[in-house]
Amino acid sequence: MVEERIGVYICHCGTNIAGTVNVQEVTEFASKLKGVVVAREYKYMCSDPGQDLIKKDIRECGLNRIVVSSCSPLMHEQTFRRVLNETGLNPYLFQMANIREQDSWVTEDSKAATEKAKRLVAAAVRRVSHHEPLEIKTFSVNPNTLVVGGGIAGIEAALRVADSGKKVYLVEKEPTIGGHMAQFDKTFPTLDCAACILTPKMSLVGSNPNIELLAYSEIEGFSGFAGNFKVKIRKKARYVDPEKCTACGECLNVCPVEVPSEFDLGLGLRKAIYMPFPQAVPHTFLISKKETPPCKLACPIHQDVQGYLALIAEGKFKEAYQLIRKTNPLPAVCGRVCYHPCENVCNRRYVDEPLSIAALKRFAADQVDVEEIEIPSITKNGKKVAIIGSGPAGLTTAHDLALMGYDVTIFEAASEPGGMLRMGIPAYRLPRDILSKDIGYIEKLGVQIKTNVKVGKQIRFKELKKKYQAIFLAAGAQRSVSLRIPGEDSEGVIPGLDFLRRVNMGEKVQLGRRVVVVGGGNTAIDAARVAVRLGSSTTILYRRSREEMPASKEEVHAAEMEGVKLTFLVAPKRIIAEKGRISKVECIRMELGPPDASGRRRPIPIEGSEFTIEVDNLIAAIGQTPDLEFVKEIGLELSPAGTLKVDEATLATNLEGVFAGGDVVTGPATVIDAMAAGRKAAQSIDRYLKGEPLAPTPEEVKAPREPSEEQIAEFRERFPVQERIEPQVAEPSARIKDFSEVVRGYDIERAKSEADRCMDCGICSECLECVKACDLEAINHEMKDEVMEIDVGAVIVATGFDVFDPSIARQYGYRVYDNVVTSLEFERMCNASGPTGGKITLKNGEAPKSIAILHCVGSRDENYHEYCSRICCMQSMKFAHLVREKLPDAKVYELYIDIRAFGKGYEEFYKRVMNEEVIFIRGKGAEVTDFAETPEEEGKLIVVCEDTLLGVVRRIPVDMVILSVALEPRKDSDKIAKTFLLSRSRDGFFLERHPKLAPVSTANDGIYIAGACQGPKDIPDSVAQGGAAAAEALSLIDRGKVEVEPDIAVVDENLCSACRVCIRACPFNAIEFDEEKEVAVVQETLCKACGVCVAACPSSAIKQQGFTDKQIYAEVEGILAT
Amino acid sequence: MDYTYFPGCSVKGLNKSYEISALSASKVLGVNLLELNDWNCCGATAYMSIYELRAHILAARNLALAEKYNRDIATICPACYVVLDKTNRYICENKELRENVNAALGEINLKYYGSLKVRHLLDIIVNDVGEEAVKSKVTAPLKGLKVAPYYGCQTVRPFGAFDDKENPQTMEQLLRWIGAEPVKFPLKAKCCGGMQRVTNEEAALKLIERLLKAASRSGADCIATACPLCQMNLEASQDRVNSIFGTHYSMPTLYFTQLLGLAFGRPIESEVALGQELVAVDKIIEPYKVSVIKRER
Repeated sequence: MVEERIGVYICHCGTNIAGTVNVQEVTEFASKLKGVVVAREYKYMCSDPGQDLIKKDIRECGLNRIVVSSCSPLMHEQTFRRVLNETGLNPYLFQMANIREQDSWVTEDSKAATEKAKRLVAAAVRRVSHHEPLEIKTFSVNPNTLVVGGGIAGIEAALRVADSGKKVYLVEKEPTIGGHMAQFDKTFPTLDCAACILTPKMSLVGSNPNIELLAYSEIEGFSGFAGNFKVKIRKKARYVDPEKCTACGECLNVCPVEVPSEFDLGLGLRKAIYMPFPQAVPHTFLISKKETPPCKLACPIHQDVQGYLALIAEGKFKEAYQLIRKTNPLPAVCGRVCYHPCENVCNRRYVDEPLSIAALKRFAADQVDVEEIEIPSITKNGKKVAIIGSGPAGLTTAHDLALMGYDVTIFEAASEPGGMLRMGIPAYRLPRDILSKDIGYIEKLGVQIKTNVKVGKQIRFKELKKKYQAIFLAAGAQRSVSLRIPGEDSEGVIPGLDFLRRVNMGEKVQLGRRVVVVGGGNTAIDAARVAVRLGSSTTILYRRSREEMPASKEEVHAAEMEGVKLTFLVAPKRIIAEKGRISKVECIRMELGPPDASGRRRPIPIEGSEFTIEVDNLIAAIGQTPDLEFVKEIGLELSPAGTLKVDEATLATNLEGVFAGGDVVTGPATVIDAMAAGRKAAQSIDRYLKGEPLAPTPEEVKAPREPSEEQIAEFRERFPVQERIEPQVAEPSARIKDFSEVVRGYDIERAKSEADRCMDCGICSECLECVKACDLEAINHEMKDEVMEIDVGAVIVATGFDVFDPSIARQYGYRVYDNVVTSLEFERMCNASGPTGGKITLKNGEAPKSIAILHCVGSRDENYHEYCSRICCMQSMKFAHLVREKLPDAKVYELYIDIRAFGKGYEEFYKRVMNEEVIFIRGKGAEVTDFAETPEEEGKLIVVCEDTLLGVVRRIPVDMVILSVALEPRKDSDKIAKTFLLSRSRDGFFLERHPKLAPVSTANDGIYIAGACQGPKDIPDSVAQGGAAAAEALSLIDRGKVEVEPDIAVVDENLCSACRVCIRACPFNAIEFDEEKEVAVVQETLCKACGVCVAACPSSAIKQQGFTDKQIYAEVEGILAT
Repeated sequence: MDYTYFPGCSVKGLNKSYEISALSASKVLGVNLLELNDWNCCGATAYMSIYELRAHILAARNLALAEKYNRDIATICPACYVVLDKTNRYICENKELRENVNAALGEINLKYYGSLKVRHLLDIIVNDVGEEAVKSKVTAPLKGLKVAPYYGCQTVRPFGAFDDKENPQTMEQLLRWIGAEPVKFPLKAKCCGGMQRVTNEEAALKLIERLLKAASRSGADCIATACPLCQMNLEASQDRVNSIFGTHYSMPTLYFTQLLGLAFGRPIESEVALGQELVAVDKIIEPYKVSVIKRER
């Protein structure tokens, strides 16, 4: 090894160092250190003469190691490395000792500072002896630039780069570029209108061939190093093709959904399909969709509930009906008998009550005559499917398959089609003609229904198998479960379903005066209500309590209204007959024990509590099971519960080509569940007959999500309590006289008002009216997000700011009093294209007679943000000017701490506003209240403040208060910082490399920042930074190559034990495993030199160049040695 | 639920009705207020601003005595609450202060380690006892009684430990649980004049008049307070206010614990501690008298 010859150079930095540190003493000390050949001090080491001093010594004294003891390496390490390079020494044979930031600036005592400087110099000298020459690698630079954020800073940066002929990708999260500036009215101090100066720039961006504008897009992934970044971008679906859309606005006219406009900060409304503002770039519409609303998710057949509600509210009943029909083949039926799981999850329940969804569906169905609905043209495919059973499952399968082109035949054992819809549900709930019409439509699709044909009797199953390519078994659950108590076979004891079937099929059934119905399900309630209509006094016996009743609450309520008596915790034990006919029932009382398998509490008989009641008839409605007589012979597999066994995903049975669904599989369930099964069967059968794999591609099953606390609070704020409007119902005394329909439905006005309560949870209701309205076929509701990957050389982050939400500073009364607005809201109010058309108005529409503008709301306040937001003074004075201009009679108060009018023309503007009779009060607004203490204060907002010039507390009554709110880091700053590896300063804004000398560079080469994401700033400064960042990016790109610091980690292949600990430890995914050599390999372009792997490696096989153990130990020894 | 109870001087004298009603309501709710043995004056707000260290030592003696029980300290007087809480917080945060205070306490063989939490009864009832338990004890809901919830300046300030400093809500919550109807009372956290009532009557009366005006304008049948000084200033000054301002206020001012007692159906005199008011409360307690008498029989 060549003997080390070290030169040490101590810098005075003017008086910055020499004022505290005795530099002569340090130089003297250094000159005696081991290996030091020469030690010198100089006033400014970084200056040309200083640098020349080192160069001269290198040449003349043959130095081969250099230590400079001066400022931070961040400041001048590169400068001195260049010195070494220029004299032919490897630049890494250099070490810097920071005796300014880490010594003279932070140490008051001169002696201590000098002592510390000596230690730091000694450490550097020892360290530098172990330095090795390192090689700088160079890579070529990708000539493209990524600009993140399309506000004024990002726009400026993009235009500047693009004008040089280089390609720019401009990514903007919002649907349009323009940022906050697009929301402003006038700009200070010149009072040009923001739109007039911004929109020309925006359209330049849109038309510049070098700019690829990716609006409504977000960064998803980012990797690489300066000059060679890889970026993953998600382009969110707009559901409108910008290539086809001409922004004609026809879609706006038909969209039924209105939500608060984000661009207008909720002061105005926009449609679900919209353009944020008329000059938006890209100049095209988009549709906002949130996650699927809970009602649609909860519906077993996933109907577009929000869509038809929105159409009903708009009075478009026929369109609503057609939308319902898209997913539901039995609208009139479901509107009456569905148990509406959609209503149970409706988000409106957090505000007042759920929407009356089922009844509104019925209303839509009532407005349309099914017989007049056009039959779609169907191309037959010649394949034949048989369906056994014409209940809701069978009908749905038939409907769906018929539309697909299959020849469908339904075999029904009863004399009329409808299955349980007809036999189980009484006419007062579902009138026969309504049912017949819905079925009639399905028949018109070409479905044949053969009644009075029982499979196994009139036709053999084998025959069906021969004639049809597929069979769907949907025979329902038709057999009543028996009570299994003595005397059940007495005359006058009737199974519930038999009773309903006989009545519903038109048979005259005679009942005695006193009827008891046993059971707690819907069948029991139906039987009881029918019995009441036949003139009997009816009592229901149920063995558990009201809470455990499986029947729907509405039905139970209706039954009670009609005089049905409910007796709980009682079960029949024995039927006592006289002459073979029932006369009494012996009952026993029950109590509730622990929960059973169904989760309900198990009833336990109380011994000795028996009692008898006298009855004429007993109807047993305790459950139903499928009647599966005929399937046994054909070899269909059954489940232990006695129902048909099927594959849950496909509904296929064990026999090929035979499918089954509905109650025959599940046991007695609901209409809508059966329909969902029917739909699933139709899809399976279609796949089966096309020869496709049976199992459907698994779809993500989404359950309705409970809204968060914040969402609920938002609902409550947006929607005042409005009671649910129920459909009209016939009087109980009148309705028990016959079987006419009990629920009479809505009239038009009530239906519209009820539908209007819908909160548009999904925003777009997917009613598809816009699709119909768009002649250009630009709208596609199936559009999906796209993810693209691009390569760029430089990145400019210009993500802007958020405004402070003053509702947390309760003293200002924001969101408490109507006429307290934020500065940004006031901008929208003043803007001619804003929600008030440029009029300054109070909530009640009147013009304010006095306005107070409060400065520093959220800034210069230790409770929120300590920093000054820099624009508020000027913005507030601009507001004062606008008020004076628009409302010359209004009084304007400015409540300020200090006026900061620092920019060009700003002070002049301040003077101008002062001369416009604006009242300036030096004092921060302390409180806004509506509590009047004097008659003059009545009905006003009173601003309380301490006037620090007068030294008194003042109360200023005004009509409107404008809060000039702080600018703060964007809510997603943390995510952006993590993505681009940016640091943030204490205030949360992105940290620049140097506050004065490198304001748009960051610690990460190739990544620049511009505009308010770096700190609050006004438009001129943002534009200047945008330009500066563009220049930085271009200088990198034009250089064409980039040098990569060699202080990366390297693996000693001989020591690597292939444990792969480093691979997991690396936060930048920079280490790969070489399977052939069985060693870890650091990818030098991805390594960020953090050193985590070095520490993690158990075999000490990884070292970081420039930070070897030897070097660090030597440095520590240098500090500790005395 | 056990708490070390620090009563403070004022509720042992002029404001006895606060302590009586607080102890009664706490008992109903299963809150055991176990009075601290040998407690001394908290120093109140005045001492703190004159001799800060001595005031901390005075307060810390109570904390040191209470520490061996390892229970939260419950206070009902907001002045005691603020002073003890402040000393507790400062001692924990400030090493120098802690050493000074403990040096003084060392003279009487005491030391405070900073392990306790100082609470106000309002906080305990709303946050520890909770809605369900409170509601389950209500036998005579205060239906239709409009109450102006008045926190005064010290219940939530300066620390806002259990509620918002500018717009507290705890008392409203509690009033709703017992069936009363809290009115919108914009001055609910504003000053009642405090001890200025004695030293600068003019200033204090102005503030008191403002509060009475706000309460009567809000349509309240009575004011509920959580502070003995507020209660006294508001109730005892009404004649004086009326004669100076030419007003006609007659606004009953009760402790929130007295309203709890009414709703829990406790005996009016012995436990709700009503009957010694300067402003008559007959009108508001009339409906409860009947039910209470029935119960007592």
